[in-house]
Amino acid sequence: MRLPVFVPIIATMALAVGACGGGGAVSADTPREVRPITPVEGCGPTAWSDPSNLAPDREPARCKPGAPAPKPLAKKTKITVSSSTGSAEFVATLRLGIAKGEFAKENLDVDFKQLGVADSIPLLAKGDLDAMWSAPEAAFFNGLQQKFELRWVLGNYSSNPESKSGLWARAPKGTAPGSIQLGNAQVGTLIGKGSVITYPMSQVLGRHGTDLKKVRFTSLTGPADTVTALENGGVDAAWVVDPVWKQVEGNPGVHFLGGQPLGEPLGGMIYGPGMLRTNPDAGVAFVRALVRIVNTYFDGDYKKNTAFVGEVASSLGLKPESLTAVPAPVWDWEIRKGTTDRLQRAFVDGGALGKAVPESEAVDRTFYAEAVGHKP
Amino acid sequence: MTEQRALPKGQGEERIIVREPGPAERSPASAAARRRTLELGLAITVPVVLIGLWQTASDQGWIDARLYPSPTTIVANGWDLALDGKLWPDVWATTRRVVLGFLLGTGIGVLLGLVMGTSRTVRAALEPLLDALYVVPKLALLPIFLNMFGLGEGPQLALVAATVFFFVWISTMSAFLAVPEGYREAGTVFGAGRWQMFRHVLLPGALPQILVGTRIAAGVSVLVIVASEFVAATEGLGYLIFNSRALFQNDVMYVGIVCVAVLGVIFSEIIRFLGRRLTPWAPDDRDRVRT
Repeated sequence: MRLPVFVPIIATMALAVGACGGGGAVSADTPREVRPITPVEGCGPTAWSDPSNLAPDREPARCKPGAPAPKPLAKKTKITVSSSTGSAEFVATLRLGIAKGEFAKENLDVDFKQLGVADSIPLLAKGDLDAMWSAPEAAFFNGLQQKFELRWVLGNYSSNPESKSGLWARAPKGTAPGSIQLGNAQVGTLIGKGSVITYPMSQVLGRHGTDLKKVRFTSLTGPADTVTALENGGVDAAWVVDPVWKQVEGNPGVHFLGGQPLGEPLGGMIYGPGMLRTNPDAGVAFVRALVRIVNTYFDGDYKKNTAFVGEVASSLGLKPESLTAVPAPVWDWEIRKGTTDRLQRAFVDGGALGKAVPESEAVDRTFYAEAVGHKP
Repeated sequence: MTEQRALPKGQGEERIIVREPGPAERSPASAAARRRTLELGLAITVPVVLIGLWQTASDQGWIDARLYPSPTTIVANGWDLALDGKLWPDVWATTRRVVLGFLLGTGIGVLLGLVMGTSRTVRAALEPLLDALYVVPKLALLPIFLNMFGLGEGPQLALVAATVFFFVWISTMSAFLAVPEGYREAGTVFGAGRWQMFRHVLLPGALPQILVGTRIAAGVSVLVIVASEFVAATEGLGYLIFNSRALFQNDVMYVGIVCVAVLGVIFSEIIRFLGRRLTPWAPDDRDRVRT
């Protein structure tokens, strides 16, 4: 007897559905094992600061150069880490660490993938990626709402007080920046409303008589568009990133209104279930290596060291001038108390998030606490 | 039914071919009804079974429902978004861009196709240039349109119009060129002037093929606007899909995908319906496939 024509079609589709559905994501409901923390040589009291200290001039936590010392894993472990770019300064610790073999000292084989946050989060949630070097964007919190096992485990940097990466607005020459009112201004942005920049942007807008709901956002397609749109009046204001703000600095009709809050990292490392649950030893080793890289290479104004800037530029595939054009960020592996609450408030206001999760479900400081030997 | 019967051994190489009428010939009406029932059954059963399978896979945990929401979840989310009024601005934005861009592109495409299909000189002047532009991926023109028309609706409309234009231009030009010489000769014999030749011979002969081009362009216009809204828009179904993907809101993303599919089907069917009304003498393409 001949089978109807649709039977093989349906059978094929069924197989396809089964194939793509395999390996569901891990739920965050099951408690994880508590790991012992022991003191670490070279990392004393300065290796930890109270998370509730939000002072803009807070000294970032530091160990001695070369500390914490590597503790190689018993067997070589490959981990896959993604970042939205391979050439921005915020990935310098990761790229330089790979180039200098800092991860290899922990017996880690780091496979770096360039992947946007939107692509990374589902892979991280499923366990196909181990870590994401980016930021706790709205996608991360939406993933937590859906009970995916994700945690923000490490900070990256806070803004240098001299940096002017932030919101720039058009106003007649001679206008005092503090007096600029943005109202329902047209704001150009390279990032979506789910980016962490939403939080500092909401702060700056608040200081200039408006908020995320009142302004009209316009998507721009590249950093060059930001400058063009600002200068030719295509937008009233725009968030200008490093080092692009150097191009508008000095234009008398464009004014800097504010940027990322000082002393508060808004990005860093997000772990998925692979590091959080399956192999936390690798998770600690990876964090330890990154903390060591900061202490050894990225403390203070490292951009004064021409040879080192050359090394960093080479690892990022950039020209050294593009790094020295802007002040060095303050590398800071700690996560401030309440940052996730403030981020989520901005996301909810901007319509990128339905409701907030408590910080305890979003942040895990135990990885860097163990790496520097800090007992809570 | 055709059957070949070989003669018993020893009776030479002679063969008898027997042709008996099949069911379709014995009872054409009931055969057609059976065929229609089968086609309707397939059209309904295949999607229903697939959706049922998807629902079961989701309910049973064969697939992660957080990453691949079930059909009922998508419908419920779509319903909620529609009731909240959050879905309609995006649906309207995309529909407006598709319709306006389509009309613009079709108008220019028909006009130029007609001129090039009837004038050898114009064809010689423009065809190489348009052929070269035809192969450029239209989405690659978006940055140019952004420069030309700024940040408003202009680039989106221009992109849809440019995409539609090429499909319609080619089908119109080739439709006029393909009108059989016999038709033209018949028109001449009956003493048709230039306008009469166009109105009563060329246009009726070319219109069915032009409308095939417009129907293909209708589908492609939805495709291209969604891709364009991914890149440079702050509203529209493409933006909804892209934005909800960026925010890891899978449930909303699937609502957007379903809406795009529905919009594409509705728009194509409207163009098909209008085409049938405009060319009642042309065979329905579904019937043509059937025969």
